[in-house]
Amino acid sequence: MGTINSALSLMNGALDADQSALSVVANNVANANTTGYTEETPNWQENQPIEVNGISIGSGVSETGATSQRDKVLEQRLDQQQQLASASGVRLTALNNIQALFTPDSGSSSSTAGDIGSDITSFFDSFSSLEADPTDNSLRQNVLSTASTLAGDISSAAASLNSQRTALDQEATGVASQVNSLTRAIAQLDLQIQSASADADAGTLEDQRQQDLSQLSQLIGINQVTTENNGLSITTTSGQLLVSEGSNQQLTTGTVNGVTDFFLGGTDVTSQLATGGGQLGGYLTARDQDIPKALSSLDQLAYSISTAVNKQNNTGTDLNSVTGSVANPLYIFNDPGQVAGSAAAMTVTMTDPNQIAAAGAGDGAGDNSNAVDLFNLGSGTIVNGQSPINSYSNFVSTLGSTVSEVQSENTAQNASVTQLQTQNNAFSSVNLNDEAAAMSKLETSYQAASQVFTMLNTIMASALNLGMQTTVS
Amino acid sequence: MRAMRELGARQEHPELKELVMEASHALALLDSERLEELALSCQALNRDLAPLSAEVKEELVRQAREAARDMAVFARVLAATRANLKVMERLRQMHASGLEYSERQVRGWAEMESGHGND
Repeated sequence: MGTINSALSLMNGALDADQSALSVVANNVANANTTGYTEETPNWQENQPIEVNGISIGSGVSETGATSQRDKVLEQRLDQQQQLASASGVRLTALNNIQALFTPDSGSSSSTAGDIGSDITSFFDSFSSLEADPTDNSLRQNVLSTASTLAGDISSAAASLNSQRTALDQEATGVASQVNSLTRAIAQLDLQIQSASADADAGTLEDQRQQDLSQLSQLIGINQVTTENNGLSITTTSGQLLVSEGSNQQLTTGTVNGVTDFFLGGTDVTSQLATGGGQLGGYLTARDQDIPKALSSLDQLAYSISTAVNKQNNTGTDLNSVTGSVANPLYIFNDPGQVAGSAAAMTVTMTDPNQIAAAGAGDGAGDNSNAVDLFNLGSGTIVNGQSPINSYSNFVSTLGSTVSEVQSENTAQNASVTQLQTQNNAFSSVNLNDEAAAMSKLETSYQAASQVFTMLNTIMASALNLGMQTTVS
Repeated sequence: MRAMRELGARQEHPELKELVMEASHALALLDSERLEELALSCQALNRDLAPLSAEVKEELVRQAREAARDMAVFARVLAATRANLKVMERLRQMHASGLEYSERQVRGWAEMESGHGND
């Protein structure tokens, strides 16, 4: 009887196990379209064997719950790439806005920051025109007019850059608030996952936590460390704790030197966050590096033009036979005093065109020697060893290169994210493709792409070295 | 093959930039078939470059310069793919060798160890 009962029990156990497994499969199908849902597979556990007359007889299997088919290594790699892609994406948008500011708008009738290059040329050319007739009032007016356009465009560019910086500052503050919400939610989920029954797989909770982690990765650069009972410690990429032991550390803000700085546990972590990745990293890099760099170039340009032109005009004699002096300076632009802030403050202070000192010191009103010197400043190395127009061209060109570089980074990072998502979907989502097929696709694509790259590289190298042999063996 | 013939037909005006951009795009999407097709096209293009006239070569130089930035992007995508492939290979090895132990396995071992007492 014992044997028949054991056999019935064994069959009964198998039927129960099948029923449980069917529930797991049904759950997978029902959640096939749920974002972030990870496929679950039933866990089978061998039952204790039954001893009959000293012989051990197997007693079948029981279904002990479900385990999500997630792979933390792959998910972390995906999160890491998302952090980089988010950072470069946000930075690229900010850089494109900066670049747009310095792009000439051919359809616009009014002068803008994009016209600074032509403004510089027009301003120095106006002295060349004045050379022909230094007493001509309209030519003198033209000098002040072109000076005013140049100063206006430089100061409006600086104002726009400062506005963009303020906007980025606000965006960064908004991200910090989202980071706090997510770390709070993850900490709570951690507690629930850790308190789940030891035999149970907290699949849904883990899916939810993974989704929150993915979102967090887009906002800020993080590192994850799995702790006891499937808990999670999260730090910033530079090691400051964000989530640990079911509690989160709030990212706080404070104003330092006119911008928002970010603090964790009382420590200012702004510079670490800027290099850490995520949207916050992108916003902070644009706010603290890209815009200050652009502003610094503009400040240097404004300072150098203003001081050199003022100094030169002050050495000559104006139409009223007044020669410039310390006590009575003949300045066309405001005196900037220092480099920082020169662009924003740049303006034309001279209102009387007669004060343009076209003549050399002590020379008659008809003399043009100082106008010649003023014109020559346009080609002189007055901006850190470069002419004003070359300095501006270099600035625009460097900005373009930075945009191009970040664009390349972003394209590659997004491509990497797309690839990893394909792998992750094949591995952990409810999907008919299996891991091997996904892996094979990745391998084949890489090999084919390597071939394409090698050949394209050869073609391009050959093209750029005209006449070289181009055939690939 | 059709794409290769088309490229062959317009070999005097190879759109290098487009070719490079398409390769990056196909690699991002892991479109291995398109990449293999592009590899054949590049092979044909490369083979037919030698007899080009100086004028056509000059045009090719211009196109190569225009495609340089996209080539840098392609190189980055390729590098990212290599890194992803390494991650996936490592994962496969871990799964194959059973290095990734389930929590249940770990718990089972812990219970076995605790059963031994202080022996």
